[in-house]
Amino acid sequence: MCVVTAMAAIDRTKKPSPAPAPEAAFPDYTTVTLQNGLKVFVIQDDRKPAVTFRLVIKGGSLHDGEKPGLSSFVAALLNRGTKSRDALAFAKESDFIGSRLEAVSGPDSLAVSAGGLTKYTALILDLLQDAVINPVFPQDQFAREQKKALSQLAAEKQEPGALGNKLAARVVYGPHPYGAERTEKSVLAITRDDIASYHKNWFSPKNATLAVVGDVKPEEIIPQLEKAFATWAPHEVPVAKFAKPPVMSGLTVHLVDRPGSVQSTIILCQPGPARNGPDMPELNVMNATLGGGFSGRLFQNLREKHGWTYGAYSAFDMHRFGGSFEATAETRNDVTAPAIVETLAEIRRLRDEPVPDDELELQRQYNVGNYLLSLENAGRIAQRVQDIELYGLPADFYKKYATRMASVTPSQVQALAKNYLNVENVAIVVVGEAKQIQSELEKLGKVVVYDTALKPLPVRKGE
Amino acid sequence: MPYLPLLACALALPFPLAAAAEPAPAVKLKPIAFTEYDLPNGLHVILHENHAAPVVSTYVLYHVGSKNERPDRTGFAHFFEHLMFEGSENIPRGKIDKFVSGAGGNLNASTSFDKTDYYFNVPSNQLALALWIESERMLHAKVDEAGVETQRAVVKEEKRRSVDNQPYGTLFENLAAMLFTGTPYSWVPIGSFQYIDQAKIEEFRDFYKTYYLPNNATLAIAGDIDIPATKKLVEDYFGAIPRGEDVKRPAIEWSMDTKRQVKDVGKDNTPLPATVHAWRAPVETHPDAYPLAMLTDILSQGRSSRLYKRLVDQEQVARDVQAFTYLLEKAGLVGVYATGLSGVTLDQLDKLITEEVAEVRKSGVTDEEFQKARNQQESQFATAFGSMQARAQNLANYYVFHSDTNLINTELERYLAVKREDLQRVANEYLRDARTQVLRFPVPAAAAAGAPPTSPTPSK
Repeated sequence: MCVVTAMAAIDRTKKPSPAPAPEAAFPDYTTVTLQNGLKVFVIQDDRKPAVTFRLVIKGGSLHDGEKPGLSSFVAALLNRGTKSRDALAFAKESDFIGSRLEAVSGPDSLAVSAGGLTKYTALILDLLQDAVINPVFPQDQFAREQKKALSQLAAEKQEPGALGNKLAARVVYGPHPYGAERTEKSVLAITRDDIASYHKNWFSPKNATLAVVGDVKPEEIIPQLEKAFATWAPHEVPVAKFAKPPVMSGLTVHLVDRPGSVQSTIILCQPGPARNGPDMPELNVMNATLGGGFSGRLFQNLREKHGWTYGAYSAFDMHRFGGSFEATAETRNDVTAPAIVETLAEIRRLRDEPVPDDELELQRQYNVGNYLLSLENAGRIAQRVQDIELYGLPADFYKKYATRMASVTPSQVQALAKNYLNVENVAIVVVGEAKQIQSELEKLGKVVVYDTALKPLPVRKGE
Repeated sequence: MPYLPLLACALALPFPLAAAAEPAPAVKLKPIAFTEYDLPNGLHVILHENHAAPVVSTYVLYHVGSKNERPDRTGFAHFFEHLMFEGSENIPRGKIDKFVSGAGGNLNASTSFDKTDYYFNVPSNQLALALWIESERMLHAKVDEAGVETQRAVVKEEKRRSVDNQPYGTLFENLAAMLFTGTPYSWVPIGSFQYIDQAKIEEFRDFYKTYYLPNNATLAIAGDIDIPATKKLVEDYFGAIPRGEDVKRPAIEWSMDTKRQVKDVGKDNTPLPATVHAWRAPVETHPDAYPLAMLTDILSQGRSSRLYKRLVDQEQVARDVQAFTYLLEKAGLVGVYATGLSGVTLDQLDKLITEEVAEVRKSGVTDEEFQKARNQQESQFATAFGSMQARAQNLANYYVFHSDTNLINTELERYLAVKREDLQRVANEYLRDARTQVLRFPVPAAAAAGAPPTSPTPSK
C-alpha cells in the first residue's frame, strides 16, 4: 500500500511552545493520632487494589552507640521470630499472601514497610504489629545474621562504591554516629541483649509515625489501626547526645589503594547543612546547576566535554543533625587528577560567577517539573509527609517547595554557593590503583593512603 | 526471653494454614485502557489516558538490540543509543537533555539484547516537545565525528564502571557466552571496546537507516492526555517520516540441547564464592514461561522458599540465593545464583543447589507452595504498572514481543491457568542435570587465607 502523507501543518525547525503549566499541588492527606500517641498519615491512592504501611521509628543508626551496625540487626531480625510466630511461621504467612515485610535502618530512622493486596489488609497489619511490638530476636537467627554481616564486610572490601562511601562518611562526620562504620569488631561485639535493649528503648508509639498508602478509606483503616496497635504502650525515649563532627581544614586526598582497579571512584566531600536548614529548596536548584542531572555542569564538563566518565553528579546528603556535600564521578585511571581539578574548578566558578539567566531558568524548571512528576508516586508522598515530622520541618514545607524553587535568582545561587561550598577545606576520597594515580594526586595536596580495610598506611619514606 | 519452640508456635498460628489454603476471591485488577493503531508509515502507536497526575510519559521502542549486531561489531546498538542524544537536523548538538530538563522533565534510554528504548517523563503541558524530539530522532538524527569520539570514551567508562571494575561484574557476560553460544545472544549489549573503536561513522549511518524506522518502532504515550488531540499531534510529528525497508531479523536456531559444563572465572577481587547453575529455557512467548516463573518463585521468593530455607537458613552456607528466568525473543535461560558466606566452598553450594533442583524434579511442588506462587503472582500484577512510565513501557513491550498489548491486563490469567503438575513437568523438561551449565567465581587463595571467622562465638 502506498500512502502519501500530506505535509503536516507544523514547523519542525522550531521547538514547540508548551501549553500552560499544570499546577504542582501537594495532595491532601489525613492525619490522626492513635490513642497510644502514634501519629498516622493516610494517603489515598485508588489506582491499585493494594495497601502499604510504612512505620518510621526515629533514630536509626544514630543510636548504635559503641556498636555500629546494631540497628541494622534490629531491622533484620524484626520479622525473624515474635512471641507467637517463629521465623519460618512468619515467613510462611507473609509469603503465602504475596506480601513482604522488610525493615531497614538509616542514619536518622528505622523504617518497617509491609504491603500487599487490600483483601489481606487485616493479616498484613497483624504481621506488622507483631514484628514491631513483639519481636523476640532469637539467638539462632541473630547468629545467622552475624555470619552474613561478616561475609558482607569481606565482600565490601572489594567494592569500590562501598569503600568510598564508608571513608567519605568517616572523614566528614568523624566521631559523630553518621561517620561510624560497621566493622568485624563491632559486629562481633553486638549481643542479642543489645538488640533487645535497642528495641525496648526506641520502639515507642511516641517516637514513631505510620503512613498508610493505597486504596483505603481513613474512616475504615483508623479503627483497624487502633485495634492492631492497642497493645503498643507508649514510653518516653532516652535523651541522646552525640559527638560533634570535626571541622574540616585544608585539602586532603584520602586514597584507598585497591590494586587492579581500572577506574577511580572519586567522592569529593565536605560538611553540609542539616535537613531542617533554612535553604533546602534553593540549595536544590544550586546543586542541580552544579551536578544535579545530565544538564548539570559536572556532567557537561567531565562527560560531554572530556569523555572522562559515564556520569558526574553532586548532592547534598541532609540528616537530622548535620549533612554533607558530595561530588562524584568514576574515571579511568589516567584522568583521575584532572577530573578532580575540573570538579574543583566548577565549584569555584559557581562561587565566583553568577549563573547566566537561561541556565538558571533551565535548572529552576528542571527542579520544579521533576518535583511535580514525583507527586505521581504516592509512596514518595508518604515519605515526604513522614519527613516533615522526622526532621521537624514546617507543616507547609512541601506546599511552598515548588514556589521557592521557582523563584531562585542568580545572586541567591551565588550567595548559597559561597555559604555552603568551598574548595579550600575539602576531602577527596579516591578508590583506585595507587601506583598509577598517587603521584598525580600528590600535586593536588596532602595524600593519605589506606588499604582495603580502610586502615591508613604509614607514609613511605624517600618517595 | 519467651522464645517459643517451633511446635508451640505452629499451634499458636492465628491464621492456621487450613484457613489460608481457602483462597480469598481473586483480586479485581483495575484495567489499563488503551487505544492502538498504525500510522501509514508503519509506526505503531499506543495511547493510555489517565488523569491521576499532570504527568505524561512517552516511550519509543526500536526493535533492534545487540542480537542484531555482527560478531565483529558487538556493542554497536548500545553505542548508537548514546549517539541518539547528540542532536538532529533541527536540534543542535547537546540540546536534547537541555530541552527536556528545561521543560521540567527527565529522560533516559536503554539497550538490551532485543530492543533499544527511549523514554521521556514530562509535565503534561510538554507533550508536544517530547513528540517533536522523538520524531526528530526518528526522521533525521545527526551524528558527527565529535560526538562519536566523545561517546566512545564515555561508553568505555560505562563498561569499566559496571563490568570491569566490579567484583563479579563479568557474570552476565560469562553466562551469556556459555548459555547462548552459537547465537547472537552470546555477547552482551555493552559489547567490546575494540569493535566500537573499529566502527566507522558510515556504519553508524547505515545502522540508523536500517533500524531507526517508523516501521521498526512503537510509540507509547501514557498519562494526562486527550486522545483525539494526541492522535493529531502524533500524526503531525510522525506522519511524514518515510517508511523504510522491512527489517531483516536474525534467524536463530534455539534448542534446549546442551552438555553439562563447569567454568571457573578466576578473578582476584571476589572474596565470597559465587555460583550460577543455568539451563537453556524457551523463548518468552512459549506457554512454559509461566510455570517456569512460578517454579523459580517457589525455589527462592521469600524466606519460606526452598532454596532460602535450605542454603541460607538451615545449612547457613549462603549470603543470598536467587532463582530466576531470563526469557528473550528468540532464546531464554533459567538459573539459580548463590553467593556463599566466607569460608564456604563452591562444592558445598553446588551440592545443595543440585539436591534442591533434583528434589523438585522428583517430587514436584506441594499444594501449599503452588497456591503461594499463585498468590504471589496475583499480588505482583495487582501492584505493578503504577507509574505512567511503567504503563507506557509495558504496553509497548507486550505489543512488540507478545503481539498482544492487552496482556498488560490479562497476563495474570495465564499464570492462574497453570496446573500444579506443570511445575514438575517444566523442571524435568528444562532443569536437567546433564544439561546444567555451572559458572563459578572461586575465592582467590589470598582472600581465602584472610577470611574472617565464620562461626563467631556468641558473646553473652
